[in-house]
This record gives sequence, C-alpha cells and structure tokens, in this order.
Amino acid sequence: MNLQTFLLMRHEIILMIIILVMLAAEIFSDDKKNTYNLSIISIILFAIHTIIGYLPGEQGTLFGKMYINSELTVQMKNILNIGVLIVLLQASQWLRKPENEGKTTEFSLLIYSTLLGMYFMISSGNFLMLFIGLETATIPVATLAAYDKYRNQSSEAGIKLLLSSALSSGILLFGLSMIYAVAGTFYFEQISSNLATMSHTPALLALGMIFFIAGMAFKISLVPFHLWTADVYEGAPVPVTSYLSVVSKGASVFIFTIVLYTVFKSMLVLWTDAVIGIAVATMIIGNLFALRQKNMKRFLAFSSIAQAGFILLGTVAGSQFGMSTVLYFVLIYIFSNLAAFGVVSIISYSTGKESMNDYKGLYNTNPKLSLIMMLALFSLAGIPPVAGFFGKFFLFMASAEQGYYYFVLIAVLNTIISLYYYLLPVKAMFIDTNETPIEPLKSELLPKIALVLCVVGLLVIGFASPVFEYLKEISFGI
Amino acid sequence: MKEVLFYLFAGLLLLFSILTVSSRKILRAAVFLLFSLVLTAALYFLWDYLFMASVQLMLYAGGIMVLIVFSVLLTHNIDHKFDPMEFKKIIFSALLSLVGAVTVIYVILSHPFKTSALAAAPISPEDIGRGFLSYGENGYILPFEVISILLLAAMIGAIVIAKKTTK
Repeated sequence: MNLQTFLLMRHEIILMIIILVMLAAEIFSDDKKNTYNLSIISIILFAIHTIIGYLPGEQGTLFGKMYINSELTVQMKNILNIGVLIVLLQASQWLRKPENEGKTTEFSLLIYSTLLGMYFMISSGNFLMLFIGLETATIPVATLAAYDKYRNQSSEAGIKLLLSSALSSGILLFGLSMIYAVAGTFYFEQISSNLATMSHTPALLALGMIFFIAGMAFKISLVPFHLWTADVYEGAPVPVTSYLSVVSKGASVFIFTIVLYTVFKSMLVLWTDAVIGIAVATMIIGNLFALRQKNMKRFLAFSSIAQAGFILLGTVAGSQFGMSTVLYFVLIYIFSNLAAFGVVSIISYSTGKESMNDYKGLYNTNPKLSLIMMLALFSLAGIPPVAGFFGKFFLFMASAEQGYYYFVLIAVLNTIISLYYYLLPVKAMFIDTNETPIEPLKSELLPKIALVLCVVGLLVIGFASPVFEYLKEISFGI
Repeated sequence: MKEVLFYLFAGLLLLFSILTVSSRKILRAAVFLLFSLVLTAALYFLWDYLFMASVQLMLYAGGIMVLIVFSVLLTHNIDHKFDPMEFKKIIFSALLSLVGAVTVIYVILSHPFKTSALAAAPISPEDIGRGFLSYGENGYILPFEVISILLLAAMIGAIVIAKKTTK
C-alpha cells in the first residue's frame, strides 16, 4: 500500500477535502451573516469534483478487500454526483431565505457527509463497511429533514426519519449477525464462496437474508416498509425531499442490487420470490395512494414509492442486462424527478402554493415551467419520446428476458394506472382554467441551470445509446 | 456455576429490557435501561471479554446513561406519565412480538452450529488496538475512520438543530 493506491479512492478523498475546506472556511469567515457566497463556492467545488469523477482511473481493492473500486462503482458514484449537483443548484434559492441565515454552509456540509457515506456504502466489500456507510448516509439526513425547525412538520419529519431508520438499522444488524453466524465472515467474497460449498441453504441464513432485505426495503421505502415516507417527504424542506427521494434512494438500490448479485447469488430462487412480492405490493400501493394526493409534494412522494417498485424489475432479472437497466433507470429518474421537484420548489418558494388546484392555468402565465413539468411527468410515466420511456422499457425487457411474464404484466398494468395520475397535473396546467392563476415567476440563475440540466438529460439520455451500451458493459450479472 | 450465573443475568436482562420499554415514566425507563446495560457488561465479563465489558461499562452505562438522564432532567415534565396503552394494542403487539420471537428462536435453535477446533482464548486489548490500526485483511482502520466522519456530520447536524433561528 502506497500513496498511489489511495488514488483508487479519489471520489472519497476529493469529497473529504471539500468537506474539510468548507468547514474551515465556515469557521474562519469574517462575515457570519453572509455565508451565501461560501455555498456558491461549495457548488463550484462540487461541480469540479463531479467532472473529475468522469476521468478514467484505475480499478482495484483496498484495505484487504473492504473497499472495492470498479468501473461500476465509479459510475454509480458519478450518477449520484449529478443528482447532488442538481439538488444543490435548486437549493440555492431556498438557502437565501432569511430563516436559513447562518446555516447555509452547514446544508452543503451535511449533504456532502451523507454522500460520502453513500460512496463508502457502494464501494464496500464487507458488511461492516456497508452498515457504517448506510448510517453515515442516513443519520445526518434526519437533521436535514428538521432544517426548518420552526415548522412543527419539519421537526416531526426529522424525528420520524431518525426513529424509523433506527428501527430498520436494528433489523438489518440482526440479519447481518445471523449471516455472520452461518458464514463466519463479513467479507462479501468469502461469504459467497462459503455459501457455494453448502449443499442446502440453512434456515438461519435465509432468515438473515430476509432481515437484510427488510432493512434495505426501509431505506428504499418499499411497501410494507414505506409508512414513514409520506410524512417525512411532506414535512422536510423541498431540497431535502428531493435529495431523499432521488439520491438516497438511488444509492440504497445500487448496493442492494450489488449485494443480492454477489453475496446471495447462490440463493437466487429465494430472493427473487421475496423481491417480486415486495415490488408488486410497492407498485400497487404506491399507485393507489398517489391517485388520491392533492398536495404536489405528497403526490411526488407516493409516485416515488411506485417508481422504486419499478426499479426492482431490473434487480429481479439477476442478469448483466438487469443491473445495467437499474443504473440507467436511476440516472433517468434523477433527471425526471428533480425536474418535477425543481418546478414545485420554485413555485413553492415564490408563492407558497403546493396544491394541485393551484397549478390550474399555469401554462398561460408560466409556459416554460409548465413545459418542463410536463416533460418530467411524461418521463416519470414513461411516455415516449422522453428518456423515461426507454428506462421503463428496458426494465420490462430485462425482467421478461428471464421469463417473469406475469410480473411484467402487473408492472405494465401499473404503468397504465400511473398514466392517469401523472396526467392530472398536466391537465390542470394546460387545460383547466383558473381565475387566479399563479402570476408569472422570474426564477434565479442557479435553479434555472438545474432545470436546463434536467431537461437536457431528459431529452438526450433516451436517444444516446452509447450511454446505455457503456452502462451495460460495466455491469455484471449472476 | 457459570451456567447458573448466565441464566440469572440473562433472565434479569430480559426482565429489565421489557420494563424499559413498558414503563410509563421516562426517568424510570432510563434507570431500567441502566440496569440492562450493566447486565450486558456482566455477560461480557462472564465470557472473559474484558475489553468489551469495560467499554460497555464506561461508554454505555457510564457516559451515555449520564447523557440520557441529563437530557431527561432538562425536559419540562419529567414526571409526566404516558397514557396507558389500549388493551387491543397490547394484545396485538404482544401477539406480533411473540410470533416473531418464536420464529427467530426456533430457527436459531434448529441451526447446526459447528464447534470451532480452536480453544476460546481471551482477546487482549493489544490485539484489538492492532486490529483497529491495520489496513490488511481483517484490519479495521477504514470503518474506524469512517465512523469519525459520521460523528463529525452528526455533530454539525446537532449544532444546526440547536442553533437559535434568527427570525
């Protein structure tokens, strides 16, 4: 181990340096009131970090295979980086509000720390690292959810997130202890090789795996472990909600898929049944609740539960194609969901309106925002020619390829149901008339950049086949 | 002798754990928690895990308990009594935990655990320290360091929450 091998951890090290620099800058800045400039600097630093992430680098393992760096993990981190960059750009308007005075830098510090946790989680080659990464990615988010602490709802969101994640961590840990009892090690590679020598699956191991799936399902907010989601998403400030529903969820899905594909590959039959059951329940319940929502944030929260169910279609496939569709879909999902949240946040900060009825006649006053919202909703629903269509189409193909026809049929039916509620806001914006529509809004530069990034992503990624080809090349199957 | 002590400690631990979550007064719950933390340390002593036992005593029974009691005393209504649970809820949750416990206990008991050929040797604090600082296989320096990031982030978060809002 020498200095050069540390370059394998460049994502983590650069982000750590940014955290320390920002922390020092915050402590030593003279003007305590005007820390807004610091958050601009932190966004610029993060943008540079995002670009550096795309530079080619070496692959390998560190710390006795506790840390794994492959092209796959690098690209997963890059996908998360894009999401965080857009969230930071969107949050700039909210951070300028007077009540956030004096805690603007802390917002990006907390976001970066959780992102660092996700990096370690994705790169883990050991359940211990996975768990610590997961905790680092969760606990600070609870304080982020309670950021608007003068609002009772926001504090409630923080407490609920903390308690439910503590419970799910407990379940996860209990499951891990059972896995340790059977396999005798925490290293992914050793566990899977130990399991391969067993003639049949011990019941204790199966129970441990089910506890592991349940713990992860909490974090990805899959049904029946989704009960915290709606309240937390509604209570938390909009940038935190978008961070939770896109970046946190994406990171958990990534490591969930990796662990199922590597550690539990010999138990394929068992976990596909469990995951299919959870996915079907998630799609149906998420859709049914989304149908009834009138608050846009709650609506997007439930739609994101349903979307998580769709992502599992790729996970269940268990093939190289399956894993690549998971990555591809999360990438598209980042653009579509953040575009929708971006529009919701701009309207919410400027006017305080969050109800779907307030969006009536939006097209007449704010045509650009309405068009972006429409593209985002089309992408979430999976209507061609927007990128979301290709994402969903590949997910269905991956699952159908493995012969899960009934599962795909249920998913297609759910897509049709979701069309209805995704088109409701579109109808409100373009067709319905309103005597007191939202007045024409002028948005600031940074949120505008974020929206432009999202729209470019939505329109380009679907047609740029090299993106998917590359993701497929670096993925692996069972 | 060891077995008798084990069952004694384990039984008390179970009792105090149940009392912790079922007590309706918050300070009492904290004290019951203290007892169960000390009993956990006693179990470690019984198995010669001296380092674990002392950490458990110092950190949990000592440090964290003081923190909990302090924060309980700082809240307004220490002698607030929680409302008694509805009978239906008690029955439902008791049934649920019973089913869960029976499933888990049955699965654990029916698992054919292999006995290790190695004699159980107490782990010295030096070995633990080396484990924390070694970076090869079975070295724990990476998780050890990442936890410090978690603590840093948690502290920043706590300060943000505790800060006065300038509104």
